[in-house]
Amino acid sequence: MAVAVTIPTNLWEEDSEAVITSWLVSDGGTVTQGQLVAEIMVEKVQHEVRAPASGTITIGQPAEAVVAKGAEIGSIA
Amino acid sequence: MEKNSIQEGTLTPTKEQKFWMYRNMLVSRFLEESIEQIYLEGKKPVFNMAAGPIPGEMHLSNGQEPCAVGVCAHLQPFDVVTATHRPHHIAVAKGVNLNRMVAEIFGKATGLSGGRGGHMHIFDADVNFACSGIVGQGMGPAVGAALSRKMQGKEGVGVAFIGEGAVNQGAFHEAMNLAAVWKLPFITIIEDNQWGISVAKSESTAVPDNSVRAQSYGIPGYQVRDNDTYEIFKVAGEAIERARKGGGPSLIEIETYRLAGHFMGDAEGYRPPGELDGLKAKDPIKVMRARLGSEEGLSDEQNDRIVAEARATVEAAVNFARESAYPSPEEALEKVFV
Amino acid sequence: MNEQVRTVAANERRLTIARAMAEAIAQEMRTDPSVFVMGEDIAKLGGVFGNTRGLLEEFGNERVRDTPISETAFMGAAVGAASDGMRPVVELMFVDFFGVCFDAIYNSAAKNAYFSGGNVKVPMVLMTSTGGGYCDAGQHSQCLYATFAHLPGMKVVTPSNAYDAKGLMTSAIRDNNPVIYMFHKGLQGMGWLGTEAGATVHVPEEAYEIPFGKAAIVREGSDVTIVSVGMGVHHSLKAAAKLAEEGVSAEVVDLRTLVPLDRDTVFNSVAKTGRLIVVDEDYKSYGVTGEIIATIAERDVSILKASPQRVAYPDIPIPFTRPMEQFALPNPDKIISAYHNLKRARTWRWL
Repeated sequence: MAVAVTIPTNLWEEDSEAVITSWLVSDGGTVTQGQLVAEIMVEKVQHEVRAPASGTITIGQPAEAVVAKGAEIGSIA
Repeated sequence: MEKNSIQEGTLTPTKEQKFWMYRNMLVSRFLEESIEQIYLEGKKPVFNMAAGPIPGEMHLSNGQEPCAVGVCAHLQPFDVVTATHRPHHIAVAKGVNLNRMVAEIFGKATGLSGGRGGHMHIFDADVNFACSGIVGQGMGPAVGAALSRKMQGKEGVGVAFIGEGAVNQGAFHEAMNLAAVWKLPFITIIEDNQWGISVAKSESTAVPDNSVRAQSYGIPGYQVRDNDTYEIFKVAGEAIERARKGGGPSLIEIETYRLAGHFMGDAEGYRPPGELDGLKAKDPIKVMRARLGSEEGLSDEQNDRIVAEARATVEAAVNFARESAYPSPEEALEKVFV
Repeated sequence: MNEQVRTVAANERRLTIARAMAEAIAQEMRTDPSVFVMGEDIAKLGGVFGNTRGLLEEFGNERVRDTPISETAFMGAAVGAASDGMRPVVELMFVDFFGVCFDAIYNSAAKNAYFSGGNVKVPMVLMTSTGGGYCDAGQHSQCLYATFAHLPGMKVVTPSNAYDAKGLMTSAIRDNNPVIYMFHKGLQGMGWLGTEAGATVHVPEEAYEIPFGKAAIVREGSDVTIVSVGMGVHHSLKAAAKLAEEGVSAEVVDLRTLVPLDRDTVFNSVAKTGRLIVVDEDYKSYGVTGEIIATIAERDVSILKASPQRVAYPDIPIPFTRPMEQFALPNPDKIISAYHNLKRARTWRWL
């Protein structure tokens, strides 16, 4: 069953949107749980997005996409 | 905005001087608040420093107004001031042409440097104001201006505004020593806002009070506590007067606060929680308003007018900047040499 | 020619240059207790440009030291510590600040090995940010590659991507000579300075070195050689992609290190294509572009079908305002124009 990779909701307080600044894995790549998969930026602060599970990752939103808290940016199966 | 010339021996500001300082603090603060908003235009949701009508870095002076007005209340256009990457409040108090300064910050052709300098490189030769983005760089030139006046027998003092971080630069030591050895009409104003980006003064500086360093140069040193506008006025007045009379240099450190981050976008994760709220409670502009109320009977109605005027001045400058055209790109090649 | 390990899909792990630099430093610090880091805001903040992220947490404040704003002192201190058996990695936050501490660098770090007949070594790494394009004006946007490369006694490296960034940092730390590691702010992956996706590439987890003095052919071609470093490499690749649409095959050379300089790779490439464009964000005169062209000219000018072209920053202080700064910066369009100039130029006939 696919596990969604989502923008964490606990990293910043306001409802500001984030931008995906870098994907650090490729579409279709193998990831392990906890692995750093993307960097996002809220205003000027960078945050990390880590893989919630191990498996093959599918990238949903590309780099430079603007996303909200909780948004799904990929999935791991 | 006019101010009276200094009355000799005066250690407290006259009514005119108080209002002059207050108006300049207001213009300064409204300018910074305006810039803060405009800076973020085009930078949401993606904070790309290159975007928007005010691109690049931005270092705002909210909270540090007393340092500028308390010192510049004693200065004339012929006095020479150098400042840092956080220059706006000092430029305002020194009498820099506001329209042209804001146009410069916007990078427009009508700016003081035609857009070549931007916010960290504001030069107004008419009032002898210059600033630089290199820490400590303003020390030598201000000493040099003092030297020049002394050699030519012309009036005028040199004042270098620096941050407390700059005191740890070699340029500081050399300039202080030179000014002292040659007994020049030079004053250093250290705006101690406690932070060098993420590093606290206590972690970077061997002594808590930089005024003690004045002893190394055999000159008077003062530390003003708690951002007190009147205390700054008093101490700066004494130092400037002494310099004008040939008494040589002085060093003044002012404990002040920056209410915004080091630069726009600074998340300030290094600041202890609650520190900022404590500072906002003793905003020097609020303090000044209260003093004018109790000392000079400033009513709310009168204050509203003063505030409205200050806002209008800033708004006019911002509109001037927005409506001005950009320079043509090829003008980049001009003015390298004169 | 270098071999870049590119593993697609399986096990691919990309890093930004900032992370690659921090990872290289951390790996060396784990195995070599003499390596330590100092500079402004490099500890708690992890560096203004992200290149010391995580080091304070892992190694503590004895080995990861925030300094006062005292470049003269801590650059000098780095020289002294390096001469005494330590391996400092010291940051000059913006290369533009070199003016306040250059004596320690060019007169001391760079010369002590020579003055001492090789008996005193100065194994320090000076990492510094370069480059503009985001309106930071004349004292915060410079590249100054030539300034450092011109003076004898220091190695100079300029990574264009994360794979090179890690390997070059590892080599730099292990090198017993002073190395000036010049990274470009726009390539760090910081987001607020824009992102250049081409710089964020797969980086192997294990430590590895990239030898100095070995340029990389990052794109093979036959009609023209485009040589650059740092951000210029990315401009060159974009220009090459556009030129390909016109049927022009461009070879792009990433010098990777300026000292030592891989003149052979450059010469061999130009011998193949006959046409040379050099791209440099540093000031035009007396710099990298001149050095590359001189290298060809003095070896064998007859390999050239036309006069080489330079796409470099004009000899002006960097202006603040966007239209002026964008006018001055190298970009892919200027490189393409340079190619068309080459084609229009009179072809030489050698008797």
